[in-house]
Amino acid sequence: MINFILMVNKQGQTRLAQYFQFLSVKERMTLEGELIRKCLSRNETQCSFLEHRGYKIIYRRYASLYFIIGMDLEEENEMAYLEFIHNLVETLDKYFENVCELDIMFNIEKAHYILEEMVMNGQIVETNKTQILAPIHVLDKAKDE
Amino acid sequence: MFHLSQMDQIFLKSLADVVRTSRTTSQYDKLTFTTQTIADIKNEIQSRQESVRYQALLKLFFLAMEGNNIRWAEFQIINLMGSGDFQLKLGAQLAAHLVIDTQSQGLIMVTNVFQKEFKNGHVECSATLSCLGTIANKDLSDSLLPHVLKLTTNTKPLIRKKAIAVLSKIFTINPLNIPGNLEMVIQQLQKETNISVLACGISLFCSVMKVAPKLYPLFLSIVYDQISKQKSNWLLIKLVRISNKLISLEPRFQGKLIEHYTRLLNQTNSKSLQYELIYSIMKYFKNHSQLYESAGDILKQFLNHQDPNLRCLGLECLTHISSSAGLMEFQEQILESFKKSDYFSKLQILQLFKDFTNQQNFQTVIEFFIKYSDLESNHKIIESLIFIIMKDKFINVDDPEKLLLMYIPVIAQKIDTIDNAIRFKELLFELLTRVPGLKVYSDQLCNQILQTYAIQSDSLQGPTLNIVQRHTQLKYSLNHREIIFKSLIMIVGESVKLLKLEALTNIIKFLEQLNILNCYESSLSDIDSLLFKIYIQIIKTDPSNDLIPQIEQLIKNIYIKLHNISIVKISFFYESLILNKTKDQLDQLYNLYAEDLPPINLEAQKLIKPPEGLDITQSFQIDIEEIEKIKNSNNDQLEQKPIIQQLQQIESNQTEQEDQNTLIQKQEENEEELKPLNSKIDPIPKKVFTINRDEELPPGINQNDINKSKEEE
Repeated sequence: MINFILMVNKQGQTRLAQYFQFLSVKERMTLEGELIRKCLSRNETQCSFLEHRGYKIIYRRYASLYFIIGMDLEEENEMAYLEFIHNLVETLDKYFENVCELDIMFNIEKAHYILEEMVMNGQIVETNKTQILAPIHVLDKAKDE
Repeated sequence: MFHLSQMDQIFLKSLADVVRTSRTTSQYDKLTFTTQTIADIKNEIQSRQESVRYQALLKLFFLAMEGNNIRWAEFQIINLMGSGDFQLKLGAQLAAHLVIDTQSQGLIMVTNVFQKEFKNGHVECSATLSCLGTIANKDLSDSLLPHVLKLTTNTKPLIRKKAIAVLSKIFTINPLNIPGNLEMVIQQLQKETNISVLACGISLFCSVMKVAPKLYPLFLSIVYDQISKQKSNWLLIKLVRISNKLISLEPRFQGKLIEHYTRLLNQTNSKSLQYELIYSIMKYFKNHSQLYESAGDILKQFLNHQDPNLRCLGLECLTHISSSAGLMEFQEQILESFKKSDYFSKLQILQLFKDFTNQQNFQTVIEFFIKYSDLESNHKIIESLIFIIMKDKFINVDDPEKLLLMYIPVIAQKIDTIDNAIRFKELLFELLTRVPGLKVYSDQLCNQILQTYAIQSDSLQGPTLNIVQRHTQLKYSLNHREIIFKSLIMIVGESVKLLKLEALTNIIKFLEQLNILNCYESSLSDIDSLLFKIYIQIIKTDPSNDLIPQIEQLIKNIYIKLHNISIVKISFFYESLILNKTKDQLDQLYNLYAEDLPPINLEAQKLIKPPEGLDITQSFQIDIEEIEKIKNSNNDQLEQKPIIQQLQQIESNQTEQEDQNTLIQKQEENEEELKPLNSKIDPIPKKVFTINRDEELPPGINQNDINKSKEEE
């Protein structure tokens, strides 16, 4: 089960955080700070998997943004979650058209909505980009009308 | 609620304004800015205008991402969930997970809101289901369960998928909801064709198996059915993962999966699916050689891959091979990948070898890791090497002499931490205790290790171990080199009787180097006792030897240094010994070092039972003659070892050839025997073997006796 999904920039500022188990604000800030420091200290020759505070962490860097997933230690297939991160980025890119950090900051509710369409209750429920973006396109149409 | 005037609306800050201001505000003004923004949001979120409330909600989102506590807005957000405007409702539902937890009292109000939303359009319904999946607690899930179950039969796959995903949370929170409802869902899933819905169904099964594993028979047919026909990689990964759990509960299921796993392994190019399959096969399919070999080939590709992620996953898989023979197959690839790996992957590889090194690959492993240690991982490599050498009382070591003279000096040179120095010391002591003949090589060992200690400048480098000497209260610090130095000096001291004059001369020359006494001040007492042992050894046999004045000078230098450090204990006995050299003093000292050490303190032994079979009255110190015998027998054995191996090989070849010859002979004989019989074969052959279906008789009882008793009855 996925416990959290984060998008953090190199300065340690969180742009998107979805937690599937409730943590207090203090716990979240500590966790995010520690994770980004660990990810920043790793170079490209090192693998994208590590362990931290009882979570299995999978991360991937896109430009200045780190996409970080925290899972239970029992979960095994890190490769699948690494590919899921890429799928998420591709979906965001398809919607926002050349997505960047600012798109996520200025359209934070839409980024959250796309993520909710893909992950529910810590499980991946949808990976097809068309299916994921269908409800949000309906919303945009209704808004325009 | 209040209404903002037109003037106020002009100055209303949108999300974009807040973001821009936040980015340009300095760190010191951030707190003021945040406080002001929160105050504005508290006003705006109570506005009657929905656009204003929406902007306030978006700004709340942003502040939550920045690390601000927004739990004060719980009631407002729950209120917004029931709004007429879908955009506002959606925003509130997305923000719910930031403010609501399972203990929130506001959840009571949410039940009716959700019940209304479930009757709306599919987009609103799906957003509500997503929100429910995030914030559900026991009461909420119990009250909304009938509605969610109804939604699992909805015509839209979007709704069905989300309803099933919510059900997995409801069943996990309250397993009493499972009976009756799960069977209904399974029936629907058996007719389901949509991949996303099926994937959610498999996730539901995984959740149910965590809380109620005995229900696994319900899932077997549907999982097998999907594995045999599915092509979506995401779904297949989930199916393979749940199959692992099913195999552990129902081992017979394994046999059914061989064909499908073989097909998937050969057809798929997806690395994540390959990894899932390899993992499953390595863990559960060891008995199926063909499938295991195919998985092994792909695993080798992972280990050799340029991508560090795949190498890391390959190593992860190898931890599930429980035998060293299995690991030997992949040894080359693992060692190759070690050269390219990062620190964490190197630790994984070291752990593998710690668990699975044996006599066959011991030499290869030791030589490889000594060669390829680097600065970052050196201390871990040395730690692992010492562990491998000492494992199970040196079970992997078949040539202790080679270990002592070739590998141990190199390992000693590479030690750079105190922990490893202490482990090294224990290794040396244990090795020399278990193989007593090796003490003869102690001078060679010291030469190889300690020579470099004299050349390099040796002030207290690196971290130190701080020690307070009990009887003198003297405080001193040891670094890793000094710990090794002390242990080697002690070993040489214990081996003085076995060493020749030439070796003793070399030791004295080494100690005469000025910086030794300066750099190893904490070891002066150890050097001092070594010198006395050598002194006594020489003076008894050759009182006029040239070494004696050199030793006396060294001892004097040591005591000058010790006096400078101002310790309490001043050895008048030793000072007068050097000045006077009376026979009585020499004899006393000789006896001190010559007598056998009592093996165990008898007073202490009253409290601790000795191990069984140990005779506490017998000394464990062995004679020189006995040591020479052991050494000679070791040498003979080592010389003869390759010859013996050759002889054994020749013998085995001969026996193989003989076996083959006998087999051929037997076959020919059988053919000749069968020839006359074959000609006499009846068209209807008679039965030769009878199957005995009688019960087993207890010993001493005959079948005839039983038959007689039956007749009598």
